[in-house]
Amino acid sequence: MKPIFLSLLVCITVYSTKAQFLSKGKIEFERKVNVHKQFDAEGEWGQMLKKSTPQFKTDYFDLYFENDKSMYKPGREADAPVRNFFLSNPASANVVLNDYTSNQFISQKQVFEQNFLIQDTIRKINWKITPDTRKIAGFDCRKAVAIILDSIYVVAFFTDEILVPGGPESFSGLPGMILGLALPRLNTTWFATKVQLEGVKTTDFAPPVKGKKTTMSELKVSIQKSLKDWGKYAARNIWLIMI
Amino acid sequence: MKNLLFFFVLLLAVVNSAKSQHASVKGSVKDTSNKKDLQYSVVAVLRKSDSVLVGYSRTNQGGNFIVKNLPREKLIVWITHPTFADYVEEILIKDTSVLDLGTVNLTTKSQLLQEVIVKQQLGAIRFKGDTTEFIADSFKVRPNASVEDLLRTLPGIQVTKDGKISAQGQTIEKVLVDGEEFFGDDPTIATQNLRADALEKVQVFDKKSDQAAFTGIDDGQSKKTLNLKLKENKKNGYFGKVTLGAGPKNFWNNNGMINSFKGKRKVSAFGIMSNTGKTGLDWNEQSNYGGGNNMEYMEEYGGFVSFGNYDQDFGGPTYYGEGLPSSWSGGLHFSNKWRADKNNFNSSYLFNKLNNAGTSGTFTQTILPDTLYFTNQRSTNFDSRLRHSLNAMFEIQIDSSSSVKISTRGSLGKSLSDNSLYTESLNSSSNMVNRSNRNVSSNGENASANTTALWRKKFKKKGRTISWNLQQDFRKNTSSGFLNAVNEYFAKSGLISLSDTVDQKKLNESQTFTLDTRATYTEPLSKTAYLEVNYGVATSNSTSRRTTLDEAGGIYAKRIDSLSNEYAFNILTNSGGLALRIVKKKYNFSLGSNLSYSDFEQTDLRADTNFNYSFINLFPKANFVYSFTQFKRLSFNYNGNTRQPSLTQLQPLRDNTDPLSIYIGNPDLKQEFRNSFRLTFNDYKVLNQRSVYANISLTNVSNAISNSDRVDSLGRRVFQSINVNGSYNINAYAGYGYKIKVLDLSWNNNLSYSAGQMINFINGRKNENKNENYSIRTSFYKNKAKKYHVGLSSSITYTTSTSSIRKDVVTKFWSQTHNVYGNVDLPLKTEFNTDCDFNFRQRTSVFDRNNNVIRWNASLGKKLFKNDVGLLKLSVFDILDQNIGFRRNVTSNYVYEKTYETLRRYFLLSFTLNFSKNGKPSQF
Repeated sequence: MKPIFLSLLVCITVYSTKAQFLSKGKIEFERKVNVHKQFDAEGEWGQMLKKSTPQFKTDYFDLYFENDKSMYKPGREADAPVRNFFLSNPASANVVLNDYTSNQFISQKQVFEQNFLIQDTIRKINWKITPDTRKIAGFDCRKAVAIILDSIYVVAFFTDEILVPGGPESFSGLPGMILGLALPRLNTTWFATKVQLEGVKTTDFAPPVKGKKTTMSELKVSIQKSLKDWGKYAARNIWLIMI
Repeated sequence: MKNLLFFFVLLLAVVNSAKSQHASVKGSVKDTSNKKDLQYSVVAVLRKSDSVLVGYSRTNQGGNFIVKNLPREKLIVWITHPTFADYVEEILIKDTSVLDLGTVNLTTKSQLLQEVIVKQQLGAIRFKGDTTEFIADSFKVRPNASVEDLLRTLPGIQVTKDGKISAQGQTIEKVLVDGEEFFGDDPTIATQNLRADALEKVQVFDKKSDQAAFTGIDDGQSKKTLNLKLKENKKNGYFGKVTLGAGPKNFWNNNGMINSFKGKRKVSAFGIMSNTGKTGLDWNEQSNYGGGNNMEYMEEYGGFVSFGNYDQDFGGPTYYGEGLPSSWSGGLHFSNKWRADKNNFNSSYLFNKLNNAGTSGTFTQTILPDTLYFTNQRSTNFDSRLRHSLNAMFEIQIDSSSSVKISTRGSLGKSLSDNSLYTESLNSSSNMVNRSNRNVSSNGENASANTTALWRKKFKKKGRTISWNLQQDFRKNTSSGFLNAVNEYFAKSGLISLSDTVDQKKLNESQTFTLDTRATYTEPLSKTAYLEVNYGVATSNSTSRRTTLDEAGGIYAKRIDSLSNEYAFNILTNSGGLALRIVKKKYNFSLGSNLSYSDFEQTDLRADTNFNYSFINLFPKANFVYSFTQFKRLSFNYNGNTRQPSLTQLQPLRDNTDPLSIYIGNPDLKQEFRNSFRLTFNDYKVLNQRSVYANISLTNVSNAISNSDRVDSLGRRVFQSINVNGSYNINAYAGYGYKIKVLDLSWNNNLSYSAGQMINFINGRKNENKNENYSIRTSFYKNKAKKYHVGLSSSITYTTSTSSIRKDVVTKFWSQTHNVYGNVDLPLKTEFNTDCDFNFRQRTSVFDRNNNVIRWNASLGKKLFKNDVGLLKLSVFDILDQNIGFRRNVTSNYVYEKTYETLRRYFLLSFTLNFSKNGKPSQF
């Protein structure tokens, strides 16, 4: 079990009948990829890779939020980084800046050799709200599910105690902050390990500037063209890049 | 002006809202007990039909909210607050007006809290989220009962007479087997046809979508579903294929393969008989019907290493394209895994027989300080090799940190060969110097047994590991054969000056037993640095008996001492080493060396004399890899190793198998030391589909084991192994690949250069042979899935070779290879394949024969039956009937060209049938 703690600081916290709502802070997300699941599709090779690789590949990301903005970017390095060619995915260290007032985002993705700077409207996700709840990093979260990119099933846990409607990567649009996210098809989960209220600076929201300027639809077309001959690996890689 | 703008904006807003016909909901939220206005409460509006969120808002300071842009249909307003219970109200929006919900009072959670007893029943019934799971074996049913009978006994499940199932009062609409639909939508097919004892678990849950079943996560509409989880051992099935092929002039290629599996247990068998060059399973077939591809994942390199095929290691029956092969092979493979895959056993038996017949011709130019010889050789060969082999592997994962792997292999084989050779040598003025007619036959048997045991343990501290390896190897070869030769030597006058006849029987026997053990320990020095220490001991004991008997009166009894010997060799090697490995994000680096001390004892068993040698061998290595990005890297590699002379090279024994070319071993040989450097650069751009790669490698050898030749005036060559200095090899290679996007055409180009210097001694004089090779290649291909696949490649090579003893004799020539291929899918499930190789080799003053070959193959196939399980195919190999085998070697003062008989034009009509149940072969 990861140490889960919540540093409470009377900062931007708004009191309202015992509950406090956060409008500014920093969340650390632990992203876990079940690489063994990925190897299952590889037959004999996969079985061998399983023996030499830990089941999960873990990375950390930070999500800064303030009023109507959120910034998602790579965080601290994992204690035992797994370095394996078979596990190096495209777009695995993205930077995403969302502006919920203008409904626009700027994101930076390293897709193979090319660094892209994407500017577009925030993805509209048709979330289905369920009555299920779960506690993540000390927050009561509700479960919502959705399907994106035609076939990627998404499970999200969001809390209404954080006022910014954000989440990891491009996931947003729920009445609260997403603290838990699972993409079963990509064998990947994001869960908040801690939420801290102090230490958020204006510079944390500095938009990424480097990269080839593009939009989501342009990016999709160019990737589809390039990965045309990748067979069964194409779909997975396109999803990884487009989320 | 400002007012006018404002008016327009207002107008635009009004027009927009009227056009979209969207409505709004407003209200205010208060606390029932405190009557406070609740700020920041979430007011979410969901569509009633599917719970999709269509809009939301937060209440303001006064507890008021408005949610805009709502569709006109049945909606649910859902108000949440961390400390209050949820409020839910159904609304129906009919028009575009604003619906006022008035004041909503929330109740605190503490008021609502009721005692909840969570009772988890272990054993027969389990609850996992919203899934109820029944452990099938916990419910008693009569033998051979169906799943339906079992269901009747499960609590909360009812089955009607006509097979309708209901669980917790709801009708079951779907029955899944292992999470998948079992023959369509009728639930009774699975429940009435599967046996109860095949089940491990029965799971009841609400199935919302296929995604939900796969992920176990719930999402919306509900269908009561039953999932029947099968026991591992009931996962039965098989797949396989049969191919029958025949053609005129007695060509055949028949094979059959089957793999049947029962859970993790796999039994497979294959049989192949062919005279078109197929002698065993190909890579794909090996994975599906054989024991796998003998691959190992190497953590250090981050890649797979495929070890050499056992067949080839032991000179087993493999066809290399020389001669006309007829082969028969068969195999049986068994493997099983149990204890959750922690125990893994597999074994296989293989049988191979290969008969290979053919003729060949070799033309050699021998460059000597004062003269040149030209040698022509023609030979007719027949070889037959047969082998039975058995191997087994057992692997146990003792616990999460340690494992043991034991593998053993054994083989028994027979070989038979009969070669007739005619050789003639001419001097530079084309006068005959010598000629020889020989027949060499041999009949042999061989046996081998090899066992390896490996224990590995990982410690808690990441990177700390220990492993211990023990290896035993036994090999035995015996053969008996005859050498018959008539050798004639000519004087300058053209008359025979000397003639000798050889009629000898050869008996060879050799046996080697090796035992090798090594322990390796890795210690992490930091998060990124590792130290590896290893130590090992190996012993090798071998004996070798070579007897040559002369014929007298039809009996081979007289031992020729100069051509016979009996030796025993014992080698004891102690070796140890250290290596440091550093793994950083951008680069990794390793440096280390092993040092070994070998004690070498050679006993002449007949003369009872004893030689002792000892060698100190050094094996330094260094490796550096820098990764600029995932697909761009630079690496440098250095390897140094000492190679000790082979037993044959050390034995002071004459080998007269070829009386015109006699080999003598050298007991004074020292070990050679080889330094290899390699620099590699790769850059692949995935999105642009452009690749650049280059590498350069250099190998230089000190004390290289080479030959000292003495060629006498009769053209006879006597050669002996000696140590020389100054040998090296350089290879350089650069390539560029690009996708021409407009044409969707892949284009690859590469340049290569190699040069080498080989030192030898000829009649006491030092000779430096220099050779150089320049090559350029370009290729195009285009691929359209399920339509066609076409390609073209072309390469041109220029080769030169000179020997310092005769700088005036230069060998140089051009050669070209071009290839065109195309695979096209035609209508009516027909496919057409063709490929054509063009090989042009420039004639030189020495090699003046025409060796140009155009080899064109084609085939037409038609897929048959449901799911294309059948394939009828007509193929033609070498349509122009021009194929010849060809090899040229110019790296020493013996420059030769060999041509040999190989498969030529044949027609083959074949039929393949694929069959399967519950499984299919995997594709690589």
